[in-house]
Amino acid sequence: MATAEKVPLNLIEVILAQGSCLTELSRSVSCSEHVLVSQQPPLPIKMARDMAQDTANSSSTSEDITRELLAFIARPSVSDEEFNELALRIFARQFMLNLPFQRFCQLRGKTPRLVKSWRDIPAVPIDAFKEFTLSCLPAEDCERVFMTSGTTRGEVKGRHHHPNLAVYDASMLRHFSEHFMQGDARLPMGILFPTETLMQNSSLAHYLGLAMQDFGSADSAYYLDQNGLRTDALCEALRKAEQSGQAFALLGASYSFVHLMDELQVRGLSFALPKGSRILDTGGFKGQSRDIPMDAFYAQLSATFGVDRRQCINMYGMTELSTQFYDAGNRSVPSVKRGPHWLRSRLLDPLTGQEVAHGERGILAHTDLANVNSVVTILTEDVGVATDDGFVLLGRAQGAQAKGCSLAVEDFLKAARG
Amino acid sequence: MMSAPKENFLKADVFKAGYLPGLRDDEVRWKHLQLGAPNNALTVAVPELSTEQFKNLASRIRLASRTHLKSWPVSDIVRTLDTAIARLLNANDPYRQALEHLLPRATGFDAAMVRLGLNSYLQTFRALQLQRFITEDFANPKLLDEFQPRPKGGWSKAIGPELLVHVWAGNVPALPLWSFVSGLLVKAGAIGKISSAEPIFASLFARLLAEVEPRWADCFAVVWWQGGDDVLERCVFAEAEVVLAYGGNTALRSMQDRMPVTTRFLSHGHKLSFGMVSNAALSVLRGQATARAAALDVARWDQQGCYSPQVFYVQRGGQVQPLEFAQLMASELAALTAKFARRTLTLEEAASVASWRKQHEFESLRQIGHQVLGDAAQAFTVAYADTPQTLLPGPLNRCVLVVALNSLQDVMPLIEPQRAYLQTVGLAAAPEELLALGDALGQAGVTRICALGAMTSPEAGWHHDGRFSLLDLVRMVDIDPSAELAAERFTGYEL
Repeated sequence: MATAEKVPLNLIEVILAQGSCLTELSRSVSCSEHVLVSQQPPLPIKMARDMAQDTANSSSTSEDITRELLAFIARPSVSDEEFNELALRIFARQFMLNLPFQRFCQLRGKTPRLVKSWRDIPAVPIDAFKEFTLSCLPAEDCERVFMTSGTTRGEVKGRHHHPNLAVYDASMLRHFSEHFMQGDARLPMGILFPTETLMQNSSLAHYLGLAMQDFGSADSAYYLDQNGLRTDALCEALRKAEQSGQAFALLGASYSFVHLMDELQVRGLSFALPKGSRILDTGGFKGQSRDIPMDAFYAQLSATFGVDRRQCINMYGMTELSTQFYDAGNRSVPSVKRGPHWLRSRLLDPLTGQEVAHGERGILAHTDLANVNSVVTILTEDVGVATDDGFVLLGRAQGAQAKGCSLAVEDFLKAARG
Repeated sequence: MMSAPKENFLKADVFKAGYLPGLRDDEVRWKHLQLGAPNNALTVAVPELSTEQFKNLASRIRLASRTHLKSWPVSDIVRTLDTAIARLLNANDPYRQALEHLLPRATGFDAAMVRLGLNSYLQTFRALQLQRFITEDFANPKLLDEFQPRPKGGWSKAIGPELLVHVWAGNVPALPLWSFVSGLLVKAGAIGKISSAEPIFASLFARLLAEVEPRWADCFAVVWWQGGDDVLERCVFAEAEVVLAYGGNTALRSMQDRMPVTTRFLSHGHKLSFGMVSNAALSVLRGQATARAAALDVARWDQQGCYSPQVFYVQRGGQVQPLEFAQLMASELAALTAKFARRTLTLEEAASVASWRKQHEFESLRQIGHQVLGDAAQAFTVAYADTPQTLLPGPLNRCVLVVALNSLQDVMPLIEPQRAYLQTVGLAAAPEELLALGDALGQAGVTRICALGAMTSPEAGWHHDGRFSLLDLVRMVDIDPSAELAAERFTGYEL
C-alpha cells in the first residue's frame, strides 16, 4: 500500500526562510508512488536543499534573466535553438523557485534534468492560476498582480504575479507596434475600456493604457468610465477625425464595441473614418453583451465606423500570458492569429498532452518566454487549429454534453447555474 | 425474406434510419448525419417530416393500433415480441448482424462490448421476463385485455394511449427498447423519435417487428426531428396522448413548454449513480472480485448510462483499505481496457476528462492522501480521496472517484445535495446492512439498489427512476358498481 510520504518540514522551512512564496504548501507536501507518473521520485533532500540555497540569490537571478529576456525580445528574430535554450533556462529557474510548479512537474514526470526541448516543458492548465501562487518571486514582492475576470468559475480569480512590468511592457510594445501601429509612430486613440486606475488588476487596462501612452497622440482619450460609455464625446472625436482626415484608432473590449454599436444604432449614427483608421477589439463577449457571430460583428464594425475589415484587428490575449497575439485584420473569419518570436504555440490532445496532427483541432498551449516569473508554458481552454504561420481560434472547449440522461459534469454545472 | 435486410444494411454506404409506414422514401426529405469516430464514420440518413406528414402518420397509427393492438390479448403481444427478441439473440439473424455491424460504428463503442451488452440486455425481454414485467405493474394482466371485476364491486380495465410518443436518448445503444416494448405491452400506437447519437436500434427493431408480425406494420413509426424544433414538437405533442421522453433536463424543460396540458408527459431526466462498498466485501479473498465488479460497472458503456457509477464510497477498516480498493479498481480497469477498448473521445470529451483529472491533480498537490491513479494516456482514471467528498458527476468515459469513509452511513449527507438526481446505487454489503442502508438511501432519493457488477443491467420490470413502466402509461377505466346496479334494473327479461 502506498503511504503518503512527507517532504521534511525543515526543507519547507528552508525554502520559506529564503523567500519562497508557497504558503499553500507550507504545512507539508504529499508524494506517493501512485501518483499519475510514478517513475519520478521526490527530489532527494540534498538536491532540494541545494536548490533552496539558490533561492537566496533569486533576486539577482531575476534581474539577470530579465535583462537577458529584454535583449531577446529586442532582437529581430531568433533561431529555434536560441528559443529552446532560453525556454529551458526559464523553465529550470521556475522549477527551482516555484514549489507548486515543481510539484506539478514531478507529477508529470518532467524535471529540468529530463526536459531537453521546450516542447516537453509541462503545460500548466490556466486553472492553476486560480488554485496556486505561481510566482518565482514571493508574491508580496511582486509589483503587479493581474487577475482574471473570473467569468468561468464564479468568484475564484486567477492571479498572475509580475515582479515588475519591464518584460510585459517590452513584449507588448514591440509586438503591438508591429501589428497594430504598422509604421505609424502615434495615432489619436479612443479607448473603450476603463483606465488602469479604475481597474488596477486588469491586464487589459494596463495594456490599453500602455498603448495610449506610447502610441497615442495628445488628443487620445478614454471613452468608458464608471458612468459607462461616453458616447457623445466619442462621437465628437470621431466626427473630428472624419473632418480632419487624420486616421483614428479605436481600441477596446469586444463587448464594449457591441454596446457602442447598439447605442449608435439607436441614434442612427455611423461614421466614415479616414483611410488608415483602425480598430482593435479583444476578449470576446464573455456574457457581457449579446453574443453575436464573429462575421456579423466585423461586418457591423466596418459598416459603423467605415473601417476596412482588414484594419479591424483582433487581439487574443489572456491574463495568464505576458504576450499577445494579433491577426492581420478580419476580412474573413476566423482569422489567423500570430505571436512574436518569444512566444510559440502548439495544439495538444488534452489527455495525452501530445501535439495533434497538423490541421486537426486541439487545445492551445503557449510557451511565452515573457512569462518569466510565472510558468513559461500554459495550457489554455481554447480550441484551435494550426496554420502555417499561426493558428485559428475556434472557441472554448465546451465540455462534451452527455447524449442522454447520464449526468456529466458540464450538464450538471449548467443545470446548477439554472 | 432473411437476405433482403442483410443486403441492405451491411453493404449500403448510407444507413437509412427510421420506419415510416405509408410513406415512400422519395416522399420524404432526408438529412445526412455523420456518426462515430472520424476514421470509421457512418453516414446515417434521417427523415425530416413535415407537420402534414406527422399528422397523417399519427392518424394511420391510431387507426391500425385500434385494430391490431387494442384488440389483441396481451399474451399474444408477448409471444410476438418474444419471437422478435429471439431473432435478435440469434447470431445468424440478419437483423442481429446488422446491429452488430452498425451499432459499434455509430456509437463508437467497442464491438465486443456491444455484442455482450446486447445479449444480456435482450435476455430481459424474452417471454418469461415480459410476463413478469407485466405482473410487476398488473397483478392481474387481464386488466389490459378486458374489464375485470373489482373486489369491492364494479369493473376496471387498463387502456393504453391511442398514440404514445417516445423521445429517445442515444447515450447507450438499444436504449429505446425499454419504452418501445412498454408501449406495445399496453397496446399503444407509437411514434418514436430516435436520437442522432443512436438512430440504429429502434429503426431496425421496428422493421423486424413489422416483418415478424405484418399486421403491426402500421402500428408504429420511427421518426427523427431536430430536437427543439418548435413547430414540429408542438404538432407532434398535440397528437400524442402520452409523451415519454429521455434526455437532459434542459431538453426536457423545452419539451414541457411545448406540451399541451392534456398530454401526459413522462420524463426521465439527468440522473446520477454511485457505488458503495462495505468492509464486509473487502476481505483479502473478496476484495479483488468486488473491485472487478465495480470496474465492470464503470467500463460498460463507458459510463454513459444514467445507472453508471461516477463515485464509489468505500468503508475503511476492511482488510483491503479504500486506497487499495482504488488501486485494485485501477488495475481491473486497465485489464478491461484491453478487453473492451474505450470509445475514441471527441476533443470536447477529452478536454472534459483532462479538466477533471487536473482538478484532482491540483487537489493531490494540496492534500495528503488525494491521488490520481492511471496515466493520462490510459483510457481510464481513478481518483482517490481520503476525505469525505460530496457526490458530484464526473466527466464519464471511465473516470471514477473512490472516496474513503469510516461508515457507509456517512454517505447520506454527501449525497443529500443531489437528491433530485439520484438513481442507482451499486452496493456491496453484508445482509444485515442491506435493509438499513436501503432505507437510508431510499430516504435520500435513491430509486434502485443493486449488486456491484449489475448496475448497467436493470431487471425486467424495474421501476425506472422510481416509476411504473406500464402503469404510468395507461388510463384506468372504471365501471362503478352503481352502473352495474343500475344496469340490472334494465334487463330485457322480468325478475
